[in-house]
Amino acid sequence: MTLAPILLFLAVFVVLLLGYPVALSLAGTALIAAGIGILTGSFDAALLYAMPNRLFGIVANQTLMAVPLFVLMGVTLEKTRIAEQLLDAMSRAFGRFPGGLGVSVTLVGMLMAASTGIVGATVVTMGLMALPAMLKARYQVPLATGTICATGTLGQIIPPSIALVLLGDVLSNAYQQAQLSLGIFNARTVSVGDLFAGAMVPGLILVVLYTAYIVLTAVTHPEKAPPVRAEDINARELLVSIFPPLLLMAAVLGSILGGLATPTEAAGVGAMGALILAAIRRETGYGQLRDIAISTTKTTAMVFFILIGASVFALVFRGYGGDDLVTAWFQALPGGVIGATFIVMLVIFLLGFILDFIEITFVVVPIVGPALMAMGVDPVWLGIMIAINLQTSFLTPPFGFALFYLRGVAPPEVTTGGIYRGVVPFIMIQLAMLVILAFMPQLATWLPGVLYQ
Amino acid sequence: MPLTTPLTETGILGGRDINIIIQFIDRLNDLIGRAVSWLTLAMVIVTCAVVVARYVFSFGSIALQETVMYLHGMVFLTGIAFTLKEQGHVRVDVLHERFSERTRALIDILGNLLFLLPVAGYIFWASLDYVSFSWSVKEASAQPGGLPGVYLLKTLIPMMAGLLILQGISETAKSLQKIRTS
Repeated sequence: MTLAPILLFLAVFVVLLLGYPVALSLAGTALIAAGIGILTGSFDAALLYAMPNRLFGIVANQTLMAVPLFVLMGVTLEKTRIAEQLLDAMSRAFGRFPGGLGVSVTLVGMLMAASTGIVGATVVTMGLMALPAMLKARYQVPLATGTICATGTLGQIIPPSIALVLLGDVLSNAYQQAQLSLGIFNARTVSVGDLFAGAMVPGLILVVLYTAYIVLTAVTHPEKAPPVRAEDINARELLVSIFPPLLLMAAVLGSILGGLATPTEAAGVGAMGALILAAIRRETGYGQLRDIAISTTKTTAMVFFILIGASVFALVFRGYGGDDLVTAWFQALPGGVIGATFIVMLVIFLLGFILDFIEITFVVVPIVGPALMAMGVDPVWLGIMIAINLQTSFLTPPFGFALFYLRGVAPPEVTTGGIYRGVVPFIMIQLAMLVILAFMPQLATWLPGVLYQ
Repeated sequence: MPLTTPLTETGILGGRDINIIIQFIDRLNDLIGRAVSWLTLAMVIVTCAVVVARYVFSFGSIALQETVMYLHGMVFLTGIAFTLKEQGHVRVDVLHERFSERTRALIDILGNLLFLLPVAGYIFWASLDYVSFSWSVKEASAQPGGLPGVYLLKTLIPMMAGLLILQGISETAKSLQKIRTS
């Protein structure tokens, strides 16, 4: 039954397109496939009893406990309008410089997105928060929408994004599996901290390239990004609106990268910091706290339900010998490791048109990760390549997620064509970054090596 | 056009009975979801307590760390059915957006019957032995100084499945009503 895993994958793909919740589509299709297998004697029913223990493994996973805490931090920054005031203060501080408003949007988006991890949510938030301001400042529509789409997806690869926490956890399991398959039992490990450190340099390069593009456009075509009328910002605003959130992010990141705290501890302290900032602004009434708590619960349940659904899928996929099939298939590919990596990247790029970061992390990475890493691919490099690749996919017309979501919240004078044209330069930057990273893996692997060895 | 009458002609259960079932399930999961959501704030506080204990008083408390795990498990396991009620589980909406209200309701009904009920039923059924064994030995933490309630934590797994089955029934009934009124 070597066809079974392929059929299962195709079936899931078709079912997902119908638009029933992803977690249940994954688990349900897999369960039906297992049922057919049990009836025809080609699937071992005993495998299905492994599920409760897997589920408890998810509950007991220390790293994943960072997820609700980071979500709560992000939700607090958003719902108590700390992020909005930061953007407002920054655009007034930097608005008089060429492209100053655009650059402010990029920086705030990077900060915000870091703690949400769902492309749609970030793009919508940024679209509602920044698009009106940019249009009011008479920014050219494609430049404004392009900046917002690109920044909304940028957050995924800027630590401490939830996307990286989840990817780090999945990669660490996949890496161990890869080494076991090679007969290495005192396996080396890769942690969420490694992935955070690995994302720093490529992430910052992207920020610099985005910023450079915006400033360059503003200088060469001042009509596309006119300076905002100079409005003085006083020291108090600087102190209240700009420094605290920036300091908070720096502290969270610094304590993880410096090895002072685990991601979960840093997330808890970061969430507390965000709540304190909100309390100082008197934004922590009963109603606000309740909204923050409910919003956090919904996002957390959504993320973990996909993880549960994906584990049922993975259990059945493995039960049908899917992982052996992938390994054999990769080894037969011409071009060895490079060929296999290229195919994986292409497939992930295409899957990015219909699946979000979390789903791809839980469904695809456990399937292809062990096989690639057994062929010698570095886990941190692979993780960062996947992240940047997906980010590019989310931006690419006509299917990119970011474009859909921005279209949904943009005023009618913003045309779909304008949104498409606006992202093109940013896609170029992304592709350039992918090529650079493909040829210079040190950009991702250098910092974790320095920090943790 | 009378909007309410067609519902009363649906076999054994009249429309009013169905509405009562829907309301009961929705209220139950709403109550549970809203109650456990406060535990996210408790998670923040306890995590900070762990950090302060470790870095200020250099004292590592397994019990405190495990408390975070219990809170986390309670939040996301009991929150799953609540999130279903709130339509908070992600869908692939490339095509879904273009379907009519009726088609969407039909997809939900089929999905609930073919996927949700079997999956939740399977998790419930498969976890019964697992959990009852844990109860029979009153399973406690394997860590020295850990919490004694692992069997309670594990009980959340069939509970999650049970709440999900209930919410699935309510969602199916609501989708059926949508189809009937459209």
